[in-house]
Amino acid sequence: MITAYHRPKTIPEALDLLKQNDTFPLGGGTLLSQLKSDSIEVVDLQSLNLDTLKKKGNYVVVGATVTLQQILKSSHTPEDLKSALQLEAPLNIRNAATIAGALVAGDGRSPFVTALLALDAKLTTQPDDEQIEIGNFLATRDKGSIPNLISAITLPTHAVLAFEHVGRTPKDKPIVCAALASWPSGRSRLALGGYGVVPLLAMDGTEPEGLESAARNAFKEAKDDWASADYRMDVAATLAMRCLEKIQRD
Amino acid sequence: MNITLTINSKAYEADFSPNETLLKTLRKLGFHGVKFGDEAGLSGADTVLLDGKPINAGSMLTAQAEGHKIVTIEGLGEHPEQGWKKTDGLHALQQAFIETGAVQCGYCTPGQVLASQTLLEQNPNPSEDEVREAISGVLCRCTGYVKPVQAVLRAAAQLRGEGFDPIGGAGLFDWPVENPSTPLGGEPLSNSPSIATQVAPKIIVAPETKKWKTVGKPEIKVDAIKLVQGKPAFAADIEKRGMLIAKVLHSPHAHARIKNIDTSKAKAIPGVVAVLTWKDIPRVVYSTAGQSDPIPGPLDTFSLDNKVRFVGDRVAFVAAETVEIADMALSKIEVEYEALSAILDSEDAMKPDAIQIHDEPEYVNFADSDPSRNLAAEIRIDIGDVEKGFAEADRIFEGDYVVPKVQQAHIEPHVCVTYWDEDDRLVMRTSTQVPFHVRRMLAPVLDLPVKRIRVIKPRIGGGFGGKQEVLMEDVPAHLTIATGRPVIYEYTREEEFIAARSRHPMKVHMKTGVKKDGTITANEMVVLADTGANGAHALTVTGNTGHKSMALYVGDGKYRKSPNIRFYADVVYTNTPPSGAFRGYGVPQGFWPLDRHLEKITREMGFDPIEFRLKNAIRPGEYHPFSKAWNEGREPRPEIVHTVGLEQCVQQAKAAIGWDQKFNNEDWRNGPTPADNGQGPELGKASSAVQRPSPLRKGIGLATVMQGTAIPYLDMGGASIKMNDDGSFNLLVGATDLGTGSDTVLAQMAAEVLGVPLEDLICYSSDTDFTPFDKGAYASSTTYISGTAVVHAAEKVADRIKVRAAKMLGDIDSQEIELRDRKAYGPDGKFITLSEVAMDSLHRNDQEQIMAVASYVSPVSPPPFGAQFAEVTVDIETGQVTVDHLVMAVDSGVIINPLTASGQIEGGMTQALGYAVCEEMRYNEKGEALERDLDRYHIFRADEMPELTTIFVETFEPSHPFGVKAVAEIPMDGVAPAVGNAVRDAIGIDIDEIPITPEKVWQALKQGL
Repeated sequence: MITAYHRPKTIPEALDLLKQNDTFPLGGGTLLSQLKSDSIEVVDLQSLNLDTLKKKGNYVVVGATVTLQQILKSSHTPEDLKSALQLEAPLNIRNAATIAGALVAGDGRSPFVTALLALDAKLTTQPDDEQIEIGNFLATRDKGSIPNLISAITLPTHAVLAFEHVGRTPKDKPIVCAALASWPSGRSRLALGGYGVVPLLAMDGTEPEGLESAARNAFKEAKDDWASADYRMDVAATLAMRCLEKIQRD
Repeated sequence: MNITLTINSKAYEADFSPNETLLKTLRKLGFHGVKFGDEAGLSGADTVLLDGKPINAGSMLTAQAEGHKIVTIEGLGEHPEQGWKKTDGLHALQQAFIETGAVQCGYCTPGQVLASQTLLEQNPNPSEDEVREAISGVLCRCTGYVKPVQAVLRAAAQLRGEGFDPIGGAGLFDWPVENPSTPLGGEPLSNSPSIATQVAPKIIVAPETKKWKTVGKPEIKVDAIKLVQGKPAFAADIEKRGMLIAKVLHSPHAHARIKNIDTSKAKAIPGVVAVLTWKDIPRVVYSTAGQSDPIPGPLDTFSLDNKVRFVGDRVAFVAAETVEIADMALSKIEVEYEALSAILDSEDAMKPDAIQIHDEPEYVNFADSDPSRNLAAEIRIDIGDVEKGFAEADRIFEGDYVVPKVQQAHIEPHVCVTYWDEDDRLVMRTSTQVPFHVRRMLAPVLDLPVKRIRVIKPRIGGGFGGKQEVLMEDVPAHLTIATGRPVIYEYTREEEFIAARSRHPMKVHMKTGVKKDGTITANEMVVLADTGANGAHALTVTGNTGHKSMALYVGDGKYRKSPNIRFYADVVYTNTPPSGAFRGYGVPQGFWPLDRHLEKITREMGFDPIEFRLKNAIRPGEYHPFSKAWNEGREPRPEIVHTVGLEQCVQQAKAAIGWDQKFNNEDWRNGPTPADNGQGPELGKASSAVQRPSPLRKGIGLATVMQGTAIPYLDMGGASIKMNDDGSFNLLVGATDLGTGSDTVLAQMAAEVLGVPLEDLICYSSDTDFTPFDKGAYASSTTYISGTAVVHAAEKVADRIKVRAAKMLGDIDSQEIELRDRKAYGPDGKFITLSEVAMDSLHRNDQEQIMAVASYVSPVSPPPFGAQFAEVTVDIETGQVTVDHLVMAVDSGVIINPLTASGQIEGGMTQALGYAVCEEMRYNEKGEALERDLDRYHIFRADEMPELTTIFVETFEPSHPFGVKAVAEIPMDGVAPAVGNAVRDAIGIDIDEIPITPEKVWQALKQGL
């Protein structure tokens, strides 16, 4: 139960509030139903001016409270990231859900987090403007290690992203999805979703060679209520190769 | 905390709890247009605009909304005439939703309208895809989204200042009606390629309908205006002083005895007013199946028991001042369970060593139920000589098929408000399909006589059979009795999954004998049905699995007069949530195995799939083969089927989908267009770019289906009609409009008889104190049964009007009076208005209240027929199936209202599409539900729908005054097998279990390679 609501106007003020026990940041609010603790306080970040996207060189800096729909509508957003966003949630939820909230809560089925993992997104945290790689963030997130305050997420604009998925219906959450990011340097980064508590990084190499086997290996044990590991291994490899074809064609 | 909210441009200042959601606050402030659908915002019933954008009010704290502009549906528009006060009227979107039939149950309508308003403000000329995207956050389980999309496009055109034709006129909303003399088979639909224009069904009209003025016309729904404004029309839209919140403690065990239960800590919490366990209330055995007396099933349920039989079963009831206090109380109830072994697989239920799920001494058997064997019902039907038929066959085909447990997923959850009225009578305002059954069945449970219970059925936010159950009204009723205070009990979405009813899952074995010429000589279906922990609807649902599906194919030649059909079923108890009624009532479970089996036979024997089905299908003048063998718990009576429009349906539907161009066309199958199929828009191009063969295969399939129309000699509906001073009429019906539009079609029939426009009928349904009895909304019966009652009542009223009019016009034979255009005409053209007749009868001469009551029971159940076609794309590398187009042509007799009837078909096909490809309720090894929300249990959204086409082929059913048959359930029956058959056509491999998930297809492809 939420016993107190705060809406700080500055980041220092927010950080002070978040130092208190059982006090959590509140993004768009779409995670309210998951707050089960008996007594918590929430810090609403909406007045911290973290709701803008700014292009900086080869990167776009996305404020923590930018909504998923804002990202989808941004001219800086690659088309396949938009596809992932459309799968992530229907419009109403995208209008309220924030990028930071999605990163904190998104599970392995999240197409958006899968795509961000492929893009090697960087999280900026406060108070020290520290940058955390998304891979490290996701690896520690479910052990309870969540930064007090995420202020921004930085995405590369010089990387090309391809995204493919399989679901029960065209807009259902994926059973398997693959996101492949490719940099001009040849660096290729494959993330797989549709399974588990967080998406998996299947490959991060200087070239796409070995993509298919990397996809298979990553999903070797990816069995759950939705699909067998055999299925996921095979389809992940297929989708990864489709991503590669798409990037090579484009 | 003190907050100021800006709602519909007005400031509201109040003290709110930090924990309070915007949804709760808005409803407390009287904005009832925002609804509860689920906790996660996935239903979108709680849509409001925040700074012009649609968001979910249930997922946002009230405090978050401070400083923002909130718009609810109440801020959009209102009725243009408020007595002497004129208003700006309804918003163009609201008007369009009404006129296009986009408002069915109306529960999601405010959300869809608001989401659309945002779109039109940003984009005055949206494409259909953009409209679908805009409303994708608001789930609708009734419409199939066709008409809401059409409504938005129509409103956009109006707001752009473009002219458009009225519904029923020429142009976009033209109803492409044809008469039966039009040659069948060949001509495509006249609609444009845009999906949006196909909201208008094609109708092959029966000649008898030509003379009617109201019947057969796309009249707007009589409840649409209030629903599109978000008026407080639903069960939860009521405020009572001191109303308590009810919550139920659900069992964490699949099977256990409650050894001890301690409620003292829960009762000690301030704000907890009552905690009830099995020790506190009378132990009365009953059935929750909302059916007529005697209920055709075992009595095996208690409000609370000392044993739990599934995860989610009831353990205790709590009434508290707030939701939070009630939840806290639940957590403080201490229960000591003795866990028992659980049966989770229906195949284990009747094993010799199986534990007995119902060992209570109060259990009351019905027919062949046997709780010692965990058998809720047993059916053994042999028609003709089945073994002889098999012996006469050239080939015998056998196969096994599986259908899953699925949820009705009505967007409005179960909800009931109870209170004592000033006469110490218990009032239940409940979202039910069966108000009269609720009253009768709960009277003994509550230890009240029927006369001290009043059940009010307001508008219902979808039911689909889920509310044919007397599921939860007893909970608030017990708590009102215990506390003396009003109580509201509203299911959470999770409770809908763990503690409501669902479609019976079944395992089905088929055996069919066929001659080389395609004649079916004998057909056998053996079913193992899982009724879950209670046996409500066990016999009747499963009986219909055979009764409706297996009756369609009687065989040809001599077999027509003496078909050989066997239908055996065991319906067993398991420790899973009970199954129950779900639109189609067992029949979709029958058509998946039956039609898939026939498809295999056609492929193996080289028959044409259409010719084979029609060759063996029942024809007009033949006996319904099951009518001599089985009825729903009653004596069977022979019945001839008089109208069968199946062949015409097939011809129309195959033309609409382009069967002749696609079936057996390898070029078409292997060369799908690279349209967006959910795999990414450029997949096909990508393949060609790297010279890799396309992994996509197209397929086309059909299924032919039949249903029933009410239960003969059993289903009864009543109606009363009263004339008012101005010549208008009150039409009171016990029939239960659950969003289907039944109030509208009943009123249309009355208006036709009385010679008045629909607007002169004030229809009210239903209230056990005021409206005549009706068995309720199920078995596809309302238009047929209740409609006949309405017509009979209207005819009695019309007769009295004619008698008085004849006298007022001067010694004319009343038989020569004709009622039309609000007037009574004599043979010489002289007339008197109905308002003059009314004033004369009520105030001036030989005063009387012109009114009448009538009721109706049918001796027959004329089946509707349908041809369902599907076109799919299958990805042979991933197994993903994308359904591209569904076409259904239906013989539902005469169509009273094309808007509401086509809405039924579109919504039904959409629900059935989920049954085909994605919906399924599963349980882990502990019996815990895996699907508990609308994320894991996915239902189709507006932005992922295939094209839907609806065609009506009218026949005139002679047993109904206006020639109608049922329409509501038949669209559930054929989609899954048609999709399965299309997948077979695409990849040459059979899937025998639904839903057809990507992995099932992938596995089948692997095994087939």
